[in-house]
Amino acid sequence: MAKEAKSRGGPDQDLIRELASLLEETGLSEIEIEREGLRVRVARQHVISATTVAPALAAVPAAAAPTPQAANEDPAKHPGCVKSPMVGTAYLAPEPGAPPFIDIGTRVAQGQTILIIEAMKTMNHIPAPKAGTVTAILVGNGHPVEFGEPLVIIE
Amino acid sequence: MFDKVLIANRGEIALRVLRACREVGIATVAVHSTADADAMHVRLADESVCIGPPPSAASYLNIPSLLSACEITGADAIHPGYGFLSENARFAEILEEHGITFIGPTSEHIRIMGDKIEAKSTARRLGIPVVPGSDGAIRNETEGLRVAKDMGFPVLVKAAAGGGGRGMKVARTPEDFELALRTARSEAKAAFGDDSVYLEKYLAKPRHIEFQVFGDGKGNAIHLGERDCSLQRRHQKILEEAPSPALNAEQRQHMGSIVAKAMQKLKYRGAGTVEFLYEDGEFYFIEMNTRLQVEHPVTEMITGLDLVIEQIRVASGSPLSLSQNEFALSGHAIECRINAENPKTFMPSPGTITYWHPPGGLGVRVDSGAYQGYRIPPYYDSLIGKLIVHGKNRNECLMRLKRCLSEFVIDGIETTIPLFSELVQNPDIANGLYDIHWLESFLQKP
Repeated sequence: MAKEAKSRGGPDQDLIRELASLLEETGLSEIEIEREGLRVRVARQHVISATTVAPALAAVPAAAAPTPQAANEDPAKHPGCVKSPMVGTAYLAPEPGAPPFIDIGTRVAQGQTILIIEAMKTMNHIPAPKAGTVTAILVGNGHPVEFGEPLVIIE
Repeated sequence: MFDKVLIANRGEIALRVLRACREVGIATVAVHSTADADAMHVRLADESVCIGPPPSAASYLNIPSLLSACEITGADAIHPGYGFLSENARFAEILEEHGITFIGPTSEHIRIMGDKIEAKSTARRLGIPVVPGSDGAIRNETEGLRVAKDMGFPVLVKAAAGGGGRGMKVARTPEDFELALRTARSEAKAAFGDDSVYLEKYLAKPRHIEFQVFGDGKGNAIHLGERDCSLQRRHQKILEEAPSPALNAEQRQHMGSIVAKAMQKLKYRGAGTVEFLYEDGEFYFIEMNTRLQVEHPVTEMITGLDLVIEQIRVASGSPLSLSQNEFALSGHAIECRINAENPKTFMPSPGTITYWHPPGGLGVRVDSGAYQGYRIPPYYDSLIGKLIVHGKNRNECLMRLKRCLSEFVIDGIETTIPLFSELVQNPDIANGLYDIHWLESFLQKP
C-alpha cells in the first residue's frame, strides 16, 4: 500500500528519559522535538497552592497510544474535553500552510469546526460540541488518533 | 513475510494471534473497544488503537474503523481470528481492494462456503459425501413435505444463511412439518435477514467429526486429521478432542484424503475445517468453516504444528510447511472451553477475577487472556479461556485433565469448570461413547 512511512515503532524510552531530565535541569516546563517522523512532547505543570509547589509527572512512555504524550491530570476526565469520534489522522488546519482552525484562547461557537480528522481519504470536520474558549490542544498536526482520544479542551 | 499485522479480534484468540506474530518477528497492532482497553493482548501488543465503543457493531465489526486503524499504523495484513469478520466475504474483498492482506481464504471461497446450500452442492461436486436432503432451497410447504417424505422423517429444516448451529428446526413427523417450516423461516429472517431454508435428513445419534485442512492457494492442500466435537449444548461445542475415539486410522486416512483432494481442486488458501456428521461408519458433510476454529489447539497438540503461524506463512505466499506424507499424529488431546457462566444454569457471570491460578505441567496448555484482577466485560461472549491437555494416549489425557481441573482456580466469577470435572468422571465420556445429543440429555437429568 503506497503511503508515506510513518514511524510507528514502540516509544523511544531513552529519548523521553533524556528530555525529562533536561526539563528538571533547566527548569523548563515543556520540550518538544521532532526527528525522522517521530515527534515527542514532554511537559509538566506546576500546581501552585498556598503551601506547596508540586511538579507532576513529567513524561509517560506510552505503550498503548500511537504517540507519546504528557499526562499529568488526565485530560480525558476534563468536562470540556472533546474526544475523537473515529480513528484517523488529525489536521489542525484546512490545508497545509493555511492558518489553523483554532489556537489556545480562541473563542468558538457551538458547531464550529475545530479540526479535521482524515479517515480513508475523507476529511471529517470535527465540530465544537458547545461554545467556549479553547484552553488546550492535545494533538499535533498530522498525528494519528484513536476512538475516544482527547483532542481539545473547551471551557 | 509481513512487517506488521493488525489483530482484528479480542479475548483469547487475539492473544493467540499475537503470540504467533511475536514468534515470527512480526510487529503487532491490537485494536480494541473502550471496554477492552485493559485486555492482555492490548497490553502486550507493540501498538494499540481504540476503534470504538463497546458494542461490536461499532467496534470489532466496524470495517471503516479497522481500515483507518490499518492506515494510521501502516499494518500490511489483518488476522481476523474467528467470529466477527473472519467469514465476512465483503470484508476480505475490501481488504483485497486496499492492498491489505486478509490472512485467510479468498473472498470467493468465503462466499461459496458461507451460503450453506451452495456449500453443500460445492462439496458434492468436489466428491465429499453429503447429508441426504432437498436439492437446494425449498419453495413451499407442498414441495418440502414431498421431499421430506421421500427422505423419510425425521427431517431438519435449516436456514441457508445460518451456520454454527443456528437456524435449525426438527420436524419428527409429517404433522410437525408445517410448523417447523414456518418457525424456521421466520427465525431465519430475523437472525440472518434471509428466510431461505433447505431440508436435511435428521440423523438419530451422529457424532460431530470435523477435519482440519490447509491449502497454499496454488493447488496444494493437506489434511491434519480430525477433531470430535460431539459434546454440545444448544449446538455450541464445549469440549473437543483429537483424534476422535470413534475412528480408526483407515477411516481417518480415507476421509482425510477425500477432503484434502477437494481442497486441492478448489485451490483453497489457508486454514479451513470441513464438518461432518458421522453415523454408523458413514460421513455426511454439513458445512465448511473458512477460518481458524476455536478448538484448533487440539490439532496443534497432536501434530506439533502452529496453525496460526502456518496461516501467516501461507498468506504471505510461502508453501505449506508440511506435506501429507510428513503428517503424523502423536498422542491425544482434549480441550475444555471455560465460560464465565454458572455450571448448572449457564447464566452469564461477568465480573472481576479476584484469584487466578491456572494448572501447569507436562502436556498442559491454557489459552486465555484472563488474569488476576481482570474485569470480564459484559458485552461479548462468555468464553474466558481454553484448557487443553495432551497425553500419550486417551487415558493419560483424561487423567491429566482430571488433575488440571482440580488445580485450576478462578475466583470472583462463576465458571463451567465444575461441569467439566463431572464430565471427566462420567463412564460414557471415559469410554468415548457419546454423540451430539449426549450432553443435553445428561444436563436434563436431575
